[in-house]
Amino acid sequence: MSKFGVDLEVHIASLRRYARALMRNSADAEDLVQEALTRAVARADSFQAGTNLRAWLFTILHNVHVNQVRSKAARPQEVDVDDVESKLVSPPRQEERVELREMMRAVDELPEEQRKVLLLVALEGLKYDEVADMLGVPIGTVMSRLSRAREAVRAKLANEGGVTLRRVK
Amino acid sequence: MNAHQGLGRVTEDELHAYVDGQLDGNRRLAVERWLAEDPEAARRAEDYRAQAMLLHEMFDTVLREPPSDRVQELSDRLKGRVAFNDNRPAWHARPLVRFAAAVMLVVAGAAGGWMGRGADQQAAAPVAQQRQTLATFAQEATQAHRFYTSDERFQVELGADNQDELNGWLSKRMGRDVFGPDLGRVGYRLIGGRSLPTDLGAGAQYMYANDGNKRITLFVGAPQSGNQSNFSFTQNGDVATFYWVEGPLAYALAGRLSKEELLEIAKAVYQDVKAGPPRREAPPEQPQQQQPQQQQEQPAGVQPISDTHKAKES
Repeated sequence: MSKFGVDLEVHIASLRRYARALMRNSADAEDLVQEALTRAVARADSFQAGTNLRAWLFTILHNVHVNQVRSKAARPQEVDVDDVESKLVSPPRQEERVELREMMRAVDELPEEQRKVLLLVALEGLKYDEVADMLGVPIGTVMSRLSRAREAVRAKLANEGGVTLRRVK
Repeated sequence: MNAHQGLGRVTEDELHAYVDGQLDGNRRLAVERWLAEDPEAARRAEDYRAQAMLLHEMFDTVLREPPSDRVQELSDRLKGRVAFNDNRPAWHARPLVRFAAAVMLVVAGAAGGWMGRGADQQAAAPVAQQRQTLATFAQEATQAHRFYTSDERFQVELGADNQDELNGWLSKRMGRDVFGPDLGRVGYRLIGGRSLPTDLGAGAQYMYANDGNKRITLFVGAPQSGNQSNFSFTQNGDVATFYWVEGPLAYALAGRLSKEELLEIAKAVYQDVKAGPPRREAPPEQPQQQQPQQQQEQPAGVQPISDTHKAKES
């Protein structure tokens, strides 16, 4: 079995998970991944064998996302009824647990720049320097965003019922 | 407090790096000493880990959802474009392989940068290299633990109702004699196992549960050059892992337990593994030798990669 093939599958699954966590909507997330992969295919020549494929893919996804946000901001807000509906009717079932629901809300309330860093590090396991390269910021900025994100989430969870996070196992 | 001054002051960044498994050994010790003295810092570390666990609970479901056709098609094209040496037919399109890839994700995800560091690794001395390989192995074990304890449906490929069958099957898949130790004396019973791809080739994961349904996993792999090694410890998020090499095999025991609790279990595993498998027929004189072909091709009703998968569409 080709190691490369498995690696790529793995990275793409990771991209999809990150996109879902970022967009919170499966259709938007899949669109984002699709757009990122389209660019990756187009720019495949610029990828150098032996370098960090995962970082390369995440960087492309990040750039696509930034551009999407920018172009949305430039356009007047249009809301597609179907989109709204799909957002309304698809609360992920695992949110039934109180602590998950609260975590979800706490993460959603983070400023986007902090949310991204938290997801990339705590969910996707990216190295701090990979995140810094990907976002184009100094590593110190990554660390301070991470720290603020974690403390903000912590404060929110502590306020809402306090003990939910302290697992009793 | 000045007890941790001998190791230098611990910074805020190091606390995060500790939680994220991005800290090297010496500094980890410094952080652990700090945490032992400072309950507030220890609570923060614990909360950060809990956050990570919740994030995985919320979003790991994506790994089990098939990608859209368009995304799959693009993945295949990208594979063709980027992997010049890899133009085999679409083995990766097979659902079982794809499932294995999702598993590898959790593995490679946290194994982090090791993949991109091939050149450094080759330059490293063999001992350091083994350490690196083992560290990677431990990370794989940790992530496999996280993945397979995240969802009841994914626990085991083959149950432990018939342990001979389970051990025989996993031994065959690994090409080495492996068995799931009896941990009854430390309160855990074997519930089953599965075979997994690792950086060291095929690996076996045994899963145990206690009466409170708390689960631990023992991950067994086959390193190329197995020098004995002492217990090493690593903590990634909320999962603690002890790992070591004994004979021709590497072991990693992972669980959401304190280091002390896990160490007790690791000792029990170690003793059992050293004593060798409970064998009835053959006298245990050739521990290196594989068990003769007493097991069939595969136990009936078991799929090679995952029984959970057949519940899905394919």
